[in-house]
Amino acid sequence: MKIVAVTACPTGIAHTYMAAERLQEAARQLGHSIQVETQGAMGIENELRADTIADADVAVFAADIAVQKRERFAGKKIVEVGVQEAIKRPEGVFAHLEK
Amino acid sequence: MTKIDFVFPLANGLHARPASLLQEICLGFDAHVRFRNRRSRRRADAGSVLELVASGTAAGDPCVLEVSGPQEAKAARSLCEFLESGLLQADDGPPPASPPRETGWLPPVFRAGARKLLRGQGLSSGSGRGVVVPLKHPRSLPKNYAAGRKDAAEERRLFRSALEKAQGELRLQAAGAPDGVAAAVMKAHLSILCDPGFGRQVEDLITGENLAAGKAIARTAAAFSGALRRSPSAYMRERAGDLEDIAAQLGEKLFGPAKPKAPPSLRSPGVVVAAALSPSELLGLERRNLRGLILGQVGFTSHAAILARSLAIPAVSLPPAQLAGIAYGVEVIVDGRRGLAIVSPGTELKRYYRLEQPAAEMRRQRLARLTRRPATTRDKVRVEIAANIGTPAELAGAWRNAAEGIGLFRSEFLFLGREAPPSEEEQLAAYLQAARSAKGATVIVRTLDVGGDKTLPYLHLGREENPYLGFRAVRFYAEQSGLIRCQLRALLRAARLGRLKIMVPMVTTTEEVRLVRRLLTEAAGELRQRRVRHAPAVDLGIMVETPAAALSLDALGREADFFSIGSNDLLQYFLAVDRGNARLADLYDPLHPAFLRLLSQAAGQARRARRWLGLCGEMAGRVEYLPLLVGLGFNGLSMAPDLIPGIKARLGQLDGGECRALLRRCLRCAEAADVARRLREFNGRGSGAGVIAAELVRLGSKSRTPSEAIKELCSLLERSGRVENGMELEEAVWKREETYATDLGFGFALPHAKAAGVRQASIAFLRSGRPIRWSAAGTPVRCVLLIAVPERAQGEEHLKLIARLSRRLMHEEFRRRLLAAKDAAAVVSLVNGCLRSAL
Repeated sequence: MKIVAVTACPTGIAHTYMAAERLQEAARQLGHSIQVETQGAMGIENELRADTIADADVAVFAADIAVQKRERFAGKKIVEVGVQEAIKRPEGVFAHLEK
Repeated sequence: MTKIDFVFPLANGLHARPASLLQEICLGFDAHVRFRNRRSRRRADAGSVLELVASGTAAGDPCVLEVSGPQEAKAARSLCEFLESGLLQADDGPPPASPPRETGWLPPVFRAGARKLLRGQGLSSGSGRGVVVPLKHPRSLPKNYAAGRKDAAEERRLFRSALEKAQGELRLQAAGAPDGVAAAVMKAHLSILCDPGFGRQVEDLITGENLAAGKAIARTAAAFSGALRRSPSAYMRERAGDLEDIAAQLGEKLFGPAKPKAPPSLRSPGVVVAAALSPSELLGLERRNLRGLILGQVGFTSHAAILARSLAIPAVSLPPAQLAGIAYGVEVIVDGRRGLAIVSPGTELKRYYRLEQPAAEMRRQRLARLTRRPATTRDKVRVEIAANIGTPAELAGAWRNAAEGIGLFRSEFLFLGREAPPSEEEQLAAYLQAARSAKGATVIVRTLDVGGDKTLPYLHLGREENPYLGFRAVRFYAEQSGLIRCQLRALLRAARLGRLKIMVPMVTTTEEVRLVRRLLTEAAGELRQRRVRHAPAVDLGIMVETPAAALSLDALGREADFFSIGSNDLLQYFLAVDRGNARLADLYDPLHPAFLRLLSQAAGQARRARRWLGLCGEMAGRVEYLPLLVGLGFNGLSMAPDLIPGIKARLGQLDGGECRALLRRCLRCAEAADVARRLREFNGRGSGAGVIAAELVRLGSKSRTPSEAIKELCSLLERSGRVENGMELEEAVWKREETYATDLGFGFALPHAKAAGVRQASIAFLRSGRPIRWSAAGTPVRCVLLIAVPERAQGEEHLKLIARLSRRLMHEEFRRRLLAAKDAAAVVSLVNGCLRSAL
């Protein structure tokens, strides 16, 4: 499966990046391809391109605050989870997708 | 009668310093000067500091001076000039100190622990625990005055002798005070006792109302302190307590001590509780076991509070009702930062405060360490870090901040705001004070630097079309040689008792230096003739503040013994930018590559001429510029005293070779923005590699709860000097923690925050001996990594590193190594390793 993801937490110092790392790792193990955009204290990094988003089967938002530039994902299937869930049970996040 | 109308200009109101300056002028003439505040309608004899201060005059009040008497015209002229110049510089008297920011927020440990939590205002930060010891007020005026005495002459005599005794005692106390702050408090009391308004009113009451001396004193003190209490300025209101203390001291002199004065015994750690505390009472307490003070209605700028801060005694003030509720003999914690008193604290709170206590202690030790060691870079490049001061009153602050000397002592304060130049003796007293207090350290005194915009009525320098380029400083020395020789004589005499050096301002030619040297020789000759002892030789240096001087240090080096670059003026002359012009603020940039080249050439010439080179402008105190100044090879930097600790700390992190390499790169830059960028990168890299250090790692921590762990790590950060105020960081971390707990679920927690007082992005780490239950749902935590980021992150270098570390923590192998690390160094290298490695 092709996945795009966005992670964002309140201070944008730590959890944003931990969640990104966990999602990447878990996706790799499950054989998915994934690209993760982080929205942290340094602003948006690894910004997802429009064609990447268009190509993806699903978008995952692991965020505790509003995702910026959300309009890019209009019409896309979006799965929203909390940052903590992505960190603690990333496999669980992907289990949602299978349904 | 001449009337002078004016609007009172000083933000702190008419406090003791401007009042005493005004008094000095009035007493200098055979004239009577009345002061009237048109807003409050209060009047005062302008010759009485006390009456002036009691007028409760605040900034913006419309006021009038009414001058009459034989020398009316002369006095009025002098007063007008004072109102235009001297008065405006008189606001540095009381510290415009403000109480610490209090949010009322408390960490979770408080919600469980205290039997009784009393909230008041913090007076002196730090915390301490001890048993409550009462201080019964031994000093109060006996109720039974010697009333009924009819002999006014005898009562006046009694009053005068009591006054003299009290004055003598205060003089002795001031001389033997433990530090400058205590001495200043004593002197303030002394000035009230010596005030003509006070004595006159007491004697008037004795004579006019047939009062006994004791009653007259009490009524006078009450009248003045009542006026002070009505003052709009908090600082003035708190002076009322001083008057009451003085009345009590006078009463003692009249009647003998009210009781044999026994300060409470402090044989074991104690906290003194008192409704009020006079400076002499505070100084009389046994300080070795004094852990804190809980006082009644005592303000932040009261002398008791000022003294407590200067002696580092934690102190809080509480409302009277709460104060009365504290029983003697119970245990209490004083928290001066939060403004709390905790009665009968539970075990958890005691454990929590044990983690806090050492912080203040360590900070003092750290400062002391910096004091003792001559400042150097990491690779032992020596740079003397000294203080700039404008009056002898600032000496204490300089030494407190661990200055290695005085790099610039501006002498203008002696000359400004007066009718005639200061005498040789008057100047000698000021220079001697500096030389003595320096205890062997160097004091560089700059000779008179006025003219142009700063004029003196007795100099007749005339108006200037273009003051900054005008007839100023050394340029009028030939014309005013008598005045300058007088200053040089005072300096030569003072130099006998300390390491004084003389610095000449605004030099452009070698001839100017030769002139001053001639004047110096003449001054020495005059002293020899008068058989007055003086130093045989004094170093004569120049303040380099014109581009012409900066580019001829080779020639000037043959005439002068040392150089100090006055970067403020040098920059404005070099760039042709008025530094006071807000519209040109962007152009006034010391990072202009041409300015760096100028400094670099000047430094090279000074080196070749084998002359000591310092810098005493604002540039010297800016931490971010320090690598460039070290690269330029300055021998000394001089700055405002409070900037010294920060500069010393940063200097110790720098490497001389790296700084020189940075300078070489910056000298090749085309524009200031390029220099700024390189400097930012350099500063970011320097500290970036040091986001963690061994002093920030605690293995085998005894913390049992998240409160303790977070407190412990915040204390480590504060102790290291990376965080200004550990408590503010603690609060920010907890606010973040309350959105959701930061335990990650693998035995790790990652509390973090951005906070205002964080000087440099940092990571502190602890591994606990026993598991900590972090959150209700989570698994126990063994390792806690606390991340502190400045509120306004300078550059993203640090954030990138921390993001990388956060990602790495998701890998089991990395966590396993942290759990197994055998010492602090191993943790540091693990963290640094992952920061360096690419993802």
